[in-house]
Amino acid sequence: MPQGDYIELHQKRNGYRLDHFDRKRKREARQVHELSRKAQKSIGFKGKQFAKKRYAEKALMKKTINMHEESNKRRKTDDDVADGALPPYLLDRETTTRAKILSNTIKQKRKEKAGKWEVPLPKVRPVAEDEMFKVVRTGKRKTKQWKRMITKATFVGPGFTRKPPKYERFIRPSGLRFTKAHVTHPELKCTFNLEIIGIKKNPNGPMYTSLGVITKGTIIEVNVSELGLVTPAGKVVWGKYAQVTNNPENDGCINGVLLV
Amino acid sequence: MVQYNFKKIRVVPSGKEFNNITLSCTQRQTPTIIHKGYAINRIRQFYMRKVKYTQTNFHEKLSSIVDDFPRLDDIHPFYGDLLHVLYNKDHYKLALGQINSARRLISKIAKDYVKLLKYGDSLNRCKSLKVAALGQMCTVVKRIVPSLAYLEQIRQHMARLPSIDPNTRTILICGYPNVGKSSFVNKITRANVDVQPYAFTTKSLFVEHTDCKCLRYQVIDTPGVLDRPFEDRNIIEMCSITALAHLQASVLFFVDISGSCGYSIAQQATLFHSIKSLFVNKPLTIVCNKTDFQPLDGLSEEDMKLVREMKDEAAKTMVGEGGEPSDDANVLLTMSTLTEDGVISVKNAACEKLLNQRVELKMNSKKITDCLNRFHVGIPKPRDQKERPHCVPQSVLEFKAKEAAEFEEKKLERDLENENGGAGVYTSNLKKHYILEHAEWKEDIMPEILDGHNVHDFVDVDISQRLEELEQEEGLQLENEEIVQDFEMDDGKELTPEEQGSLAEIRNNPIVPALELNPSLAIKRDASRSLSRGQKRDRSRGLDDAMDIGNHADKKLCLRGLSRPRSRSNSKPPGEVIPGEGFKNRAQKVKALKLARNSNKKRNKQSRVGEADRVIANLKPKHLFSGKRSSGKANRR
Repeated sequence: MPQGDYIELHQKRNGYRLDHFDRKRKREARQVHELSRKAQKSIGFKGKQFAKKRYAEKALMKKTINMHEESNKRRKTDDDVADGALPPYLLDRETTTRAKILSNTIKQKRKEKAGKWEVPLPKVRPVAEDEMFKVVRTGKRKTKQWKRMITKATFVGPGFTRKPPKYERFIRPSGLRFTKAHVTHPELKCTFNLEIIGIKKNPNGPMYTSLGVITKGTIIEVNVSELGLVTPAGKVVWGKYAQVTNNPENDGCINGVLLV
Repeated sequence: MVQYNFKKIRVVPSGKEFNNITLSCTQRQTPTIIHKGYAINRIRQFYMRKVKYTQTNFHEKLSSIVDDFPRLDDIHPFYGDLLHVLYNKDHYKLALGQINSARRLISKIAKDYVKLLKYGDSLNRCKSLKVAALGQMCTVVKRIVPSLAYLEQIRQHMARLPSIDPNTRTILICGYPNVGKSSFVNKITRANVDVQPYAFTTKSLFVEHTDCKCLRYQVIDTPGVLDRPFEDRNIIEMCSITALAHLQASVLFFVDISGSCGYSIAQQATLFHSIKSLFVNKPLTIVCNKTDFQPLDGLSEEDMKLVREMKDEAAKTMVGEGGEPSDDANVLLTMSTLTEDGVISVKNAACEKLLNQRVELKMNSKKITDCLNRFHVGIPKPRDQKERPHCVPQSVLEFKAKEAAEFEEKKLERDLENENGGAGVYTSNLKKHYILEHAEWKEDIMPEILDGHNVHDFVDVDISQRLEELEQEEGLQLENEEIVQDFEMDDGKELTPEEQGSLAEIRNNPIVPALELNPSLAIKRDASRSLSRGQKRDRSRGLDDAMDIGNHADKKLCLRGLSRPRSRSNSKPPGEVIPGEGFKNRAQKVKALKLARNSNKKRNKQSRVGEADRVIANLKPKHLFSGKRSSGKANRR
């Protein structure tokens, strides 16, 4: 026993006090009441935290109890056969009708016609122009209103130089420019911080695509050379498309799903 | 001097607690009310403040962790190595490094989000940015949870490390397991180290202190060391090795010559030779323990040879560094902790050696010359061979002897008690120490109650003084009265009967100034008025005095009649009938007074609020009617 463990030393020398176990038992018995008092008294955020913790504990407890009970219980299996059930020897028979095949092919064709990508976010909320742009007043008397500032996250290429401010119609503020995105590979189920190469398409319109505005649902091209993906031909894949799944201007980062 | 006390490291909270503490701190310390309609700048400021505040809080907490834990390279090498042995340096550094990087990351996040918040154009956007920022910070902390848990464990262990001062006078005890190291420490200190008849009872370093020649020595008990290669040694053994390697101490190498510890003398000798390099330049003593089992003389020839070899080696350690070759008796000592044979001599020998070495080192160092220059012990030169002892007069000596004798002779209360039947029977007389004017008063009985009165009610401590004062005052008054009487008498005497008669005449017939126009008088009056510069009242009185001497007494009289009598003895109850008032008897007067009082009373005909009505000073106090009434607020109102 090390020198500093004076409590243990004392216990070793003198043992427990006579009513130690009594006190311990009582304290444990009191615990329930104290918890309930706390649950009733705590309010606000502390109350929320407490309730959440208690809920998790209780759920776990119920689960374990149910698991124990399950092994004790005898369950009745229902004997009545469902409609259309087949005996096992008939199970591998070909039963699909010709009509169904037809409809399937038609559906697939329609899909192909509709769009090239099967994207995770097929529909996005349209963004109005006055939400996208902020009017900047210019001129000595601040009377001219032809300048616009983009209020969403944007991507500008590495070699971008601003036009002379006098003629610049759209301002993309440098604070809202992003160069990296957190992209999730849906099959690998893991996320990478990848560099953005370009904007493929903004669903709100071609103007936004050309401006490089990134909103929810935008298709961006990311640099996946770090992932080491290989084409069937054996070449290393460099750029791949991904769709943005969050509102970058609200979250301060770009999250996306890789399109595979 | 640096004190190695690791108890001051603050508690490292677990990851979840860390977040809870910081976030609730933000919630409590920053403003909470914001509305959509506020100016956008204000909204941005509001959320920026929250983000910055959280960041500084995280930063402070993490910095305190990084700063509190000692850097292994900066502390004394003994502690550096001990911590390395106990906790593994790499792991330790990694954990601290992770915390440092988390601190940096959090600062970066805060910077980024504050930048983004500058572009926030609505409350909702600012708020979601704030939420994202705090969330990211918490995630960073969540990632260092294992490091935090590790550091907390280390902190708890470090706080309980024995506080060894690596620079002080130290005696270090080492040897094979189970050779009696701990029992020796128990004998010379109050350490109370656990002693058991199996190897490795002591698993860590133990520190206690002992005194030798009025100096304090630190005694360190180490776990036993086995003779095996350095890499194979376990943590327990490594503790001893660290202490041996880094502490400049007097080393006691214990040898169990009886072999009852389970290791032969040959084995112990090989251990001694293998760790010989650790003893260099340290005062080393070989202690043969358990002589009650097996005296040193009774050893076989081979064992004796081994012991002698060890002794020679030990004697050499000091020689190599320029120390004097110590004599045999001091290098090899025998003792038995069971019978306590030679325990004290071992301790003294070790302390003495250490002290000698330290003194020698100090004398050799450069610093000492600076000090020595300042020392000067002056001894007067004897001028001849004559002895000149100091002289004390005979009378002084006698007086001192007398005083001492008196002191001894003085009877104590305890002696009295023993003479008169011992404790419980004898009651000491407290009265005999009273300090009174006459010695015979001491035993007088003082009654508490006399003639039915409490005596203490009549005791006045300074009564004599007060009496004196009163008498003095009385004397003064009497003197004054005499003077006054003298005057009056003189007055009465001087007036002859004629004069008295004229006086009476004047008093009876006041002179009324004649009402006639006398310009000279008017001019005089005017002049006197313009001359006088006093207050108006004074002036008028002066004029009055001049004008009507005769009326003066009358005026005074009538004034006295108007004013109420002041004296208490002259007071009368309000209902008493005074002749001339016009009441028949007392009852009539009382009734009349009552009627008069009632008629004076004003009736509250308009039923206005009076002072007898109940008053609620503030019908709508501010604190009861302002603020939100969310849950839990009602009973505090």
